[in-house]
Amino acid sequence: MGRYIAKRLLYMLFVFLLLTFVLFVLYQMMPANRAYTDARTELQTMKQLSEEEKATKFDELYLKYQRMYGTDTDNKLVLYLRWLGVYPYYDGHVSGILEGNFGFSYEYNKPVIDVIPSHLRNTFLLGVITEVAVLGITIPLGIRCAVKKGSRFDRFTQFFTLIGFSTPSFIIYIIFIVFFCSILHWFPVSGMKTPGSSYTGFRAVLDVLHHVALPTICLTFGSLAGITRICRASMIDALNLDCIRTARAKGLTEKVVIYSHAWRNALIPMVSIIVGGFFGTISGAIILEQMFGFKGMGLLFFSSVMTADYDMIMFLEVIYTFIGLFANLVTDLCYGIVDPRVRISK
Amino acid sequence: MEKKKRENVFRVLARWFVRFFFGLKYEEKWFGKKEQPKKEIVFKNGVPDDSELIVSPTRQIFNRFIERKFAVFSVFVVLVMFAVVFIAPNFMTKYYDAYTETTQKDLPPTMALMSVPGALKNNIKMIDSFGSFSVGLSNDGKVYVWGIGQIGATGINIKEIPEEVKNAKIAYVAAGQDHIIAIGEDGTFYGWGSNRFGQYAVTDAVLENPNLEPVPDAVLNGEIDVSHIKRVTCGYQASAILMDDGTLYIWGNKQAYANLTSFIGKTNITDVDFTLNYVVGLDKKQTSIYSGTRGLYNMAREKITTGKGVKMSEFLNGRKITEVRATSTSICMLLSDGSIAFTGDFQSDVVEVPTLEEGEYFVDIESGTYHYTGLTNFGHVYSFGGDHYHQATAPTVEGAKKVFAGAFQSYAVDGSGKLLDKWGLRGYLFGTDDRGADIASRVVAGGQITMTVGAVAVIIEIVIGVSIGLLAGFFGGPVDIFLMRVAEVFSSIPLYPFMLILSSLLAQVSLTTDQRLYMIMVILGILGWPGFAYITRAQVLVARESEYVTAAQAMGVKESRIAFKHILPNIISVILVNMTLSFAASMQTETSLSFLGFGVNYPQPSWGNMLSRASNATAAINFWWQWVFTSTILVLTTVCINTIGDTLRDVMDPKSTNDK
Repeated sequence: MGRYIAKRLLYMLFVFLLLTFVLFVLYQMMPANRAYTDARTELQTMKQLSEEEKATKFDELYLKYQRMYGTDTDNKLVLYLRWLGVYPYYDGHVSGILEGNFGFSYEYNKPVIDVIPSHLRNTFLLGVITEVAVLGITIPLGIRCAVKKGSRFDRFTQFFTLIGFSTPSFIIYIIFIVFFCSILHWFPVSGMKTPGSSYTGFRAVLDVLHHVALPTICLTFGSLAGITRICRASMIDALNLDCIRTARAKGLTEKVVIYSHAWRNALIPMVSIIVGGFFGTISGAIILEQMFGFKGMGLLFFSSVMTADYDMIMFLEVIYTFIGLFANLVTDLCYGIVDPRVRISK
Repeated sequence: MEKKKRENVFRVLARWFVRFFFGLKYEEKWFGKKEQPKKEIVFKNGVPDDSELIVSPTRQIFNRFIERKFAVFSVFVVLVMFAVVFIAPNFMTKYYDAYTETTQKDLPPTMALMSVPGALKNNIKMIDSFGSFSVGLSNDGKVYVWGIGQIGATGINIKEIPEEVKNAKIAYVAAGQDHIIAIGEDGTFYGWGSNRFGQYAVTDAVLENPNLEPVPDAVLNGEIDVSHIKRVTCGYQASAILMDDGTLYIWGNKQAYANLTSFIGKTNITDVDFTLNYVVGLDKKQTSIYSGTRGLYNMAREKITTGKGVKMSEFLNGRKITEVRATSTSICMLLSDGSIAFTGDFQSDVVEVPTLEEGEYFVDIESGTYHYTGLTNFGHVYSFGGDHYHQATAPTVEGAKKVFAGAFQSYAVDGSGKLLDKWGLRGYLFGTDDRGADIASRVVAGGQITMTVGAVAVIIEIVIGVSIGLLAGFFGGPVDIFLMRVAEVFSSIPLYPFMLILSSLLAQVSLTTDQRLYMIMVILGILGWPGFAYITRAQVLVARESEYVTAAQAMGVKESRIAFKHILPNIISVILVNMTLSFAASMQTETSLSFLGFGVNYPQPSWGNMLSRASNATAAINFWWQWVFTSTILVLTTVCINTIGDTLRDVMDPKSTNDK
């Protein structure tokens, strides 16, 4: 077990380095030169210089800033290693993500690491509530549909999950916004709190809840269809297993057969969905957060891409990649827990 | 005996509906049991002959597919969708990606832009229109309005004609972009519609705004002599009344018409009209077009498509201009010898001026937004100019005495006021978008792009995924491990963040719109292949271990024959199913990205970026047609494609039974 995890972690590290390197090189293609702009800005403060002096001074400043930002070379690998924090800068100091330097967000004018927490908290709360709601609805629904396969209820659910599954999520959000905001006026359209309000205590909490209610409902609704279908399909497969026939032949009650024998088997394909879902909450829902102005990771990423806030994008991308890989590992470990036949130590 | 109802199309559809939603039990309860023809068992050589019951697997799959009514319906819908999207554009109005039309913004779906009310049909005195509605006046002085009454999101309905106008006897009417003016027989001035830019009423807000020219007092107080009015006309947010002594009353939004000031107080005008941005007039000398702006409209030509033409004075060569009519961008002049001349710019698709018969000449010209309609002394009508909505394709009309044109419509009327014929734009099936483009044609063009992107992305996925899956499955060992690790790397790339970054990177590189489209297809394909690789590999592994392959090997069948004859057919069915499902998924991904603004960008339409305006709640409710139709079609298409995929999976699975 330990050896397996170590092996997986090593592999994760490899993939992580590979992916971040690719992304890093992609970023280097962006036409942004911080050293150049900073040198220009500083040069403008020195008005008393003549043109010639300015030119030499600029070269001097440019080199200084390049060395400061570690861009005094064109070697992409060196740049990458500097960013990672294993290769020293010109003055010999080492500062990269390994040292805890995640970059500086020019859009927020503070270190990237200081911007993230509040967004992460919002997204995480939204995600966990949604995920719990989704699983709480879809699993019983999927099981019921599978058990009563072919019934009216099943057909009905199948039809609506088919539509839900085929509808791009943003259309569902549009419908909800139009219905709940424009027609019924139940919820505000966007934002996290009433603009200009200075509520305190319980009032403030209620206000925030009022604002995040619709995004939560939308996000929940958007993922119902797909998971219900998967749950139903895996449950149907499980109910067709020989062991279920045996269990029924033994005379076990239907309840025991379904919830103990069949569900245990149906859970195996569901593991990746459940685990992936929980980890996915951290990355946030880009479309949803953008549409509702929900200050989470998705909106942060979206606005960073829009404003070309490179350090921020890079760091978010690191988080995404890491989460994706980590979720894979956890999924595999969970398979071992759920399915005793899978031997992880292999 | 029970009376048996005949099965017709509706009954069959209702039966399917009931069966789908309520199940077989209710279908049989409400529609009666379907009689199954009893099969006669034929004996051949003393044993039952069931040879007909045994069919090939393909045949069996087909038969079982046909049994699923909803799946068959879905195939039908998808085929229709493909046909509409890829074939219909050849028969529709011409379409341009970047088509914009200021006067036709945000119009709801309608087909009644040209529906002259029945009461007016035999009694027409005049018809005028500029934007989305038309106003008509009957010989007995009654006003009628048709077309789209709602003015944007202002809540004003132009069709609600004021009571005093209904009671009065009206002599002249004219329609602007969002207002109508009318003058009674007694000289009283009326106006309704939007007054935001002082179109018809003088309020404090109008007087305070330096950009607005208020309605002249003479007009407001009803001091003008109706019998001496030569022409009443309206522009975008401005109006003009011309008297036959050359006095011009003009008012409205000076920001829409920058040269409006130079017309105020003029007393030597013989004709006036509005383009989209300029007021154009004809002064007493009748030798040039007066616009108060030097060098504007000083070239003239006989035909629409013959370049810029020559200097006006040179062109006229002693002739006089008798009438001036303006579209949005061009002007048509009727000359004293009955010939016509043009100045200004035209769109790319135009109908050229017709060659008239011997002795025939134009007596009147009227103008719409892009087209002209002319009446000749023989009573024939001709249309020419911009033909985007076929508004310049005139029918053959005999005995016309009057013609009216406005916006994208033309009407021919005889001496008694009877409507002889009308032609032009009937309306917009799905309304128009915020740029004034017809949504229906954008849905078709967008469907082409969305479906093509989806299809090409899936093909790329299949090519990469299946080849890698086959390699991994066949060779096994280290090759397998390596390829599967690569697939894992690709599948752990988060799709949306990565697409957003790549898109913003692509935005820095200057790409043509087509290249950008290819890039999106390639990116979608490259990020989506691992699924196919896993499936293919698993199928190959299963097939290699199966008894029939072992048997084939034992019989000494060649490896390549095993691969193609025994293993490939098994894979193909699974790939086919996944191809269908992936197609729908790719379409969804593309529309989501385009919706966010990181996929297909304006002016290229896609079912995704056409919906991006709907993320604004106010726009989504006010201009519901801008997203409802597009998203319905998108959802319908993906639902049908997914149904086909699901059904294929069911019918191809030998283990599944018919009881579903």
